[in-house]
Amino acid sequence: MKGQKTLFDFTLLFVIIFLLCFGLVMLYSVSSYDANINYNDSAYFLKRQLVSTLVGVFFMTVTIFIDYHILERVAKWAYIGSCVLILLVLSPLGYEVNGARRWLNLGMSLQPAEVAKVGVIIYFAYLICDLGRNIYSKRGLIKIGGGVGLISAMILIITDNLSSAIIVFGIVFMMVFIATPNYRIYFGVAAGLLAIAALFVILVKNGVLTSEMSYRFARIEAWLDPEAYASGKSFQTLQALYAIGSGGVFGKGLGQSLQKLGYIPEAQNDMIFSVICEELGLFGATIVIFMFIVMIWRFFVIANNAEDEFGAMLVIGVMAHISIQVILNIAVVTNTIPNTGITLPFISYGGSAVVFLLIEMGLVLNVARSIKLKT
Amino acid sequence: MGKKRQNRTGSPKFNDRMKKKLTVSSLVILLAFLGLSVRLYAINRDNGEVYKRQVLSQQSYDSIVLPAKRGEIVDRNGTKMAVSEKVYNICIDSKTLNSENGKYLDHAIQVLFAQGAIEYSYTQSDLRAYILDNPGSRYRVIAKKQSYDAVSDLMGAISGPEKDPELKGIWLEETYKRTYPYNSLAADVIGFVQGENEGAYGLEEFYNSTLVGTNGREYGYLNDDENLERTTKPAENGMTLITSLDVNVQSIVEKHIQAFNKEHENEFREGDGAKNIGVIIMNPDNGEVIAMASSPGFDLNDPRNTDGLELELPEEFQMAGIIKVEQGKEGASLNASDSAEIDIAVPAEKSVDINNQGSENKALTAESDSSNNGTDQGTTDQSTDPNGESYTAPVGAGQTEETGEAEDKPMTYEEAYEAAKMEALNARWKNFCINSTYEPGSTMKPFTMATGLESGKLTGNENYVCGGVKEVGGHKIHCSNRLGHGPLTFSQALENSCNVAFMDMGNAIGKDTFMKYNRLFNFGLKTNIDLTGEALTNSLVFDLNTMTPTDLAISSFGQGFNVTMIQMITGFCSLVNGGYYYQPHIVTKIVNDAGATVQSIEPRVLKQTVSKETSDKIVELCTNVVELGTGKSARPAGYKIGGKTGTAEKYPRKRGNYLVSFMGFAPSDDPQLVIYTCIDEPNVPSQASARYATVLTRDILTEVLPYMHIFKTEEMTEEEIAELKEKELDFAITSGVATPAEEAGLETVNGEGESAEGQVNGEEKPEGEKSEGAGEAASEDGVITFVDKEKKEKPGEYKKPEIKIDEATGYAIDPSTGALLDPETGVPVDGNISDLE
Repeated sequence: MKGQKTLFDFTLLFVIIFLLCFGLVMLYSVSSYDANINYNDSAYFLKRQLVSTLVGVFFMTVTIFIDYHILERVAKWAYIGSCVLILLVLSPLGYEVNGARRWLNLGMSLQPAEVAKVGVIIYFAYLICDLGRNIYSKRGLIKIGGGVGLISAMILIITDNLSSAIIVFGIVFMMVFIATPNYRIYFGVAAGLLAIAALFVILVKNGVLTSEMSYRFARIEAWLDPEAYASGKSFQTLQALYAIGSGGVFGKGLGQSLQKLGYIPEAQNDMIFSVICEELGLFGATIVIFMFIVMIWRFFVIANNAEDEFGAMLVIGVMAHISIQVILNIAVVTNTIPNTGITLPFISYGGSAVVFLLIEMGLVLNVARSIKLKT
Repeated sequence: MGKKRQNRTGSPKFNDRMKKKLTVSSLVILLAFLGLSVRLYAINRDNGEVYKRQVLSQQSYDSIVLPAKRGEIVDRNGTKMAVSEKVYNICIDSKTLNSENGKYLDHAIQVLFAQGAIEYSYTQSDLRAYILDNPGSRYRVIAKKQSYDAVSDLMGAISGPEKDPELKGIWLEETYKRTYPYNSLAADVIGFVQGENEGAYGLEEFYNSTLVGTNGREYGYLNDDENLERTTKPAENGMTLITSLDVNVQSIVEKHIQAFNKEHENEFREGDGAKNIGVIIMNPDNGEVIAMASSPGFDLNDPRNTDGLELELPEEFQMAGIIKVEQGKEGASLNASDSAEIDIAVPAEKSVDINNQGSENKALTAESDSSNNGTDQGTTDQSTDPNGESYTAPVGAGQTEETGEAEDKPMTYEEAYEAAKMEALNARWKNFCINSTYEPGSTMKPFTMATGLESGKLTGNENYVCGGVKEVGGHKIHCSNRLGHGPLTFSQALENSCNVAFMDMGNAIGKDTFMKYNRLFNFGLKTNIDLTGEALTNSLVFDLNTMTPTDLAISSFGQGFNVTMIQMITGFCSLVNGGYYYQPHIVTKIVNDAGATVQSIEPRVLKQTVSKETSDKIVELCTNVVELGTGKSARPAGYKIGGKTGTAEKYPRKRGNYLVSFMGFAPSDDPQLVIYTCIDEPNVPSQASARYATVLTRDILTEVLPYMHIFKTEEMTEEEIAELKEKELDFAITSGVATPAEEAGLETVNGEGESAEGQVNGEEKPEGEKSEGAGEAASEDGVITFVDKEKKEKPGEYKKPEIKIDEATGYAIDPSTGALLDPETGVPVDGNISDLE
C-alpha cells in the first residue's frame, strides 16, 4: 500500500470551493438589503456565514485526514448522539426561531436535524455493511426500518421539520435501494408514498382537509393555486416565481435583483435560488445545477471505486443527501412541489447546515483518498 | 478492520450489482435535474414577460419627503427667537402588524405604550381597534412631533444595535417643529407657523419663502435598463433671518407694557389695562426697528390658546353677547369693541361730529379696520339707537347693529362660536403697530411745524394768541385748554400743544403745501416695512381736491385722518435725523444654513423730507416740550430727551375714549433712538391724559437708554435718585460710568440676556420656564411699587373711585375741586365748555 498513488479528488474539491464562494457572493447580494434594514449592517448574514464556512472547512480538513474506518466503530454512537440532540430540543437548551423550535444553544447554535443527516449516513452505511446479505432478514428489516422510522419520526414530531424528515428518510431509502438486489419493492414503496401524497393533495383540493387543520395543508392549497393566495400563504412562492420569470436568459446582473428588496421573505434561506435566477438568469441557474451535477458525478465515481462497501455507502449517503436537497429546493422554488422549507446546499444561509455539509464532503474526500490508483 | 468486515460479508468491494443500481440512481437524479432545468426554462418562456412586469409594477416609486429645516429668526445679537427642532412622528403599518396572525400586534402595542414620554393620538384600546379595523393600512401617524428624548428608546428598539427583532410595523418619520424660546416675546412681530410649514403673521409670513427652504426627496425611478434606482435629493434648509430687534430691549418694553396692563387691569371696565398698547423703538439713523411690541399679545408656542379670549356671539344664541373663554369671570360687561373687532359700517353722518362734510369720514370709518372707529356704535345726536346711550351696557348696542347686517342663513351655535373665536384670535394676532389705524392727535404737531418751517411758510418766530377756540369754516374748534393759552411763542405753541396756534399755522401753510408735505412724510402710503399686514391708509387721509379749511385746521393738530404707528415713527425719525426718510425694516441680514450671508439689507434712504436746519429746529422744539411743556413726565432721570405727547379723542367723540401717545427721541443732542408709545383706550375712568403714555415711555427709556450705552448728560436730583433706587434700577443712576452700581444694574438687564443665552445654548432642551419666569419676575418687580408711589403722590389724578366723567365733554372731573381736567395736560381747566360743534 505504501508508495502507491492515491486519488485526491481535486475536481470535487474545486466544485466544493466554487459552490462555497459562489454561495457567499450570492448570500451577500441577496441578504444585504434585509440585513441593512434589520441589523444596520449589510454584511450581517455574510459575516456569520463566513464564520460558519471557515469552521466547516476546518472540520472538513480534519475529516479528510482521519481514516474513515474509525467511523464504523462509532457509527452506533453517531445515531444515538443524533437522537439525543434531537431530544435536547425539548430541554431548556432548545429555542425557537420564527416560531419553530429546531435549534439548540450549545454556546453556538446548532440544528440537530443537520447533525442527524450525517449521523444517519454514517450509521446506515455501517448497518448496511454489517447486515450484508442479512438485510432482508427479520432482524435486518427491523433494524433498518425501525432505525430510519424512529429518527425520521423524531425529527418530524419533536422539531416539526418535515423536510429534514423527508431528507433523512430519502437518504436511507437510496442507500438501502443500492445495497439490496431487487427493484420492485422500492418502486412499490415509492409509488405508495407518492399515492399517499397524492391523496393528501386530492383531499386538500376537495376541501376535506383545510388550511385550518395544518399549515402544511395550507401550503398544498397555495401550491395548487398560487395566484389565489397571492398576498397570503403563496406570497413567498409567487414572489420567487416572479424573480425566476423576470430574470430571462442572462438575468439582471449580479446585485440587481428587485425581488430581494423586501419582496421575497427571507430570500437568503430557501428562496435564494430564485434570486440567482433573477440576477444571473437561466445561464447562472444552469451553471449552479451543472456544478451540482458535476458534484454528483464525482460522488458516483468515488462510490464506484471505493475500496470497500462502507466507504461506498458513505459516499452514496452523501450523494443522496445533496441530490435530494438540491432537487427538492429547486422544485419548491419553481413551485413544482408544495413549499416545504428546504435549503440549497452550500448556498443558502445556515450555519449548522454548512458545517455538517463540509464534514460530509470531508468524508467523501477521505473515501476518495483511500482509492488506489492503478498504475 | 476493513479487511475483516470484507471477509465476513463476502463483499470486499462495492459490487457490480450495487454499481448498477448506483448508476440507475444517478440517472434518476440527473433526470430530476434536467426536469427542473426544463421547468426553469418553461417559467421564463411562458411567464417571463408577465412576471417581469409584475416585478416592476410592485416596486414602489413612492418618494419619501425629506423635510427641510425652517430657518431661524434671531435678534441683532444672535439670540434665537424662533427655532426649528427635529422631532419625530411615530407611524404604524397595520398590514404588517396584522400579519402572522397578529403575532407582532400585542408586542408592538406593549412596546409603544411602555414609552412614557410619548404622547399618542390614540389610547391603547383605540389604537388596537384602529389596527384591527384597518388591516390594509400601511401608514398612519399615531404620535405627532415627539421630541428626540421622548422617542429615543423606541428608536433604539426599532433600529440600532439593541433592536427588538419582534418589533415590526412601526417606524419613525423625521420632521421639524417650530418653537419660540421666548414664548410671547415680540409675538406680533415674529408671527407663528401654522399647518406644516406655513408662516402666519409677522416675519414668519412675510419671509415665509425665505425661511421655508426646499424639501428634499428620496425617490425611485427606472433607468434605461429597467432597473430600479433610488436617488436622494437632499433637503435645502431655510435661511436664517437676522433681525434688528434686541431681545433685551424688547423684554424691557414688554415688561412695562405688562406692568401697565396689570396696574390698570379691570380698573374701569373688565379687561386689560388698555384696549391696545403699542410701542416701537427705532434707530432713526438707519430705519432699523429695535423693538416693536403690542398688547394684547399671545404665546407663539400656543397661538390658538383661547384663554381669556372674549367672543361676541349673535344674540339669537343663548349665550349671546361677549363671552370670555375659559375663565371664571363673567365677561358680559365689556365694550363690544373690546372683543372681536367686528367691523360695523356706520352711516357716515353718525360718526362725524367734527366735520360734517362727511364724505372723507365716511371713507375713514367704513374702510378702517382699526380699533379706532370701526366698532362705532353711533351715539350722536342723530342716533336713534335705543341702546346707544349706555356706555356700560354696550353689548346690546353692538347686537342691534350687527343683527341689522346679519347673514342670510342662520348659523348654528357651533359655527357662530367658531367664527367668533377665529375673529377674536385674528384680532389678537394682529400687530397693533402696523395693522391698526387711528387719528394721531397732537403727535402730528411736529410734522405741521416742520412743514411750515421747511416750506418757508413759517419762520419759527411767530407769536400766537389762544383764546380757547377758533372758528374755521363755520365750525368752532376748541383748544384743549378751553380757556385759552393766551399769548404763545412758536415754541410754546408746541410745548402747550395749543390747537388754536396750530390751526393758525395750518392756515398759514395752506392745504396744498400741507398735503404735499403730508405725502412726503408718507401719510396715506405704506412704509413697506418687512412685516405682513401693514394697513393701507390711502383712503383714510384727506383728498386735496375736497379738503376744506376745517379739514386743514383739524389736520394741523392731527385729527380727521388716519395713520399707522409705523408711519408716524418712521416719519418722525426723518424729522430728527436730519431729514432722511429711511425705509423701516426689521431684517438686516439673511444667512443660509451654513452661516454664509445671502443678502444684507442695508439702510435705504427713500427720500429727504426736511432739511438739516428744519430737523435741528424740530429737535430743539421737541426737547422744549419735554423740558418745559406737556412732555415733562416722559423724561428719564439724567437724560435730555425730546418728544411730543398726543391725546386723541376717538370716534365717536364725547364718549371718553382716547388714544394717548408719546413720540420721542433720545438723547436730544444726538438722537440715537426714537420711541413711539400708543395707549389705546387706557382702562381708566378718565382716559384723556397723555401721562399714561409719557410715564410708560419714561419707564421704558429709564432701562433701555443705559442698556444701549447712551450716556447720561443731566444732573439727577436727589428725588430722582431715590426713586430709581426704590425701583431697584440702580444701574440707571450712574449710567456711563463704570461703578459698582452700574454693574449691578447691567446685571439686571443682562440677567435676562443670560437666560436668553441659556435658551440659545440649550435649544434642544424644553424651553419655557426660564424665559417665562424672567418675564413674570420682571413684571412684578420694582415697577408696581413705583406706580403705587406715583399714585400716592398724585391722588387726584390716579385715584379712580373719585373720578367722574363730565357727561358733556367726556373730560374727567377732579373730585376735590370739581374742575374739569385738561385731557392733554391733566391740569384743571375752568369755566364751562361747550361741544366743539
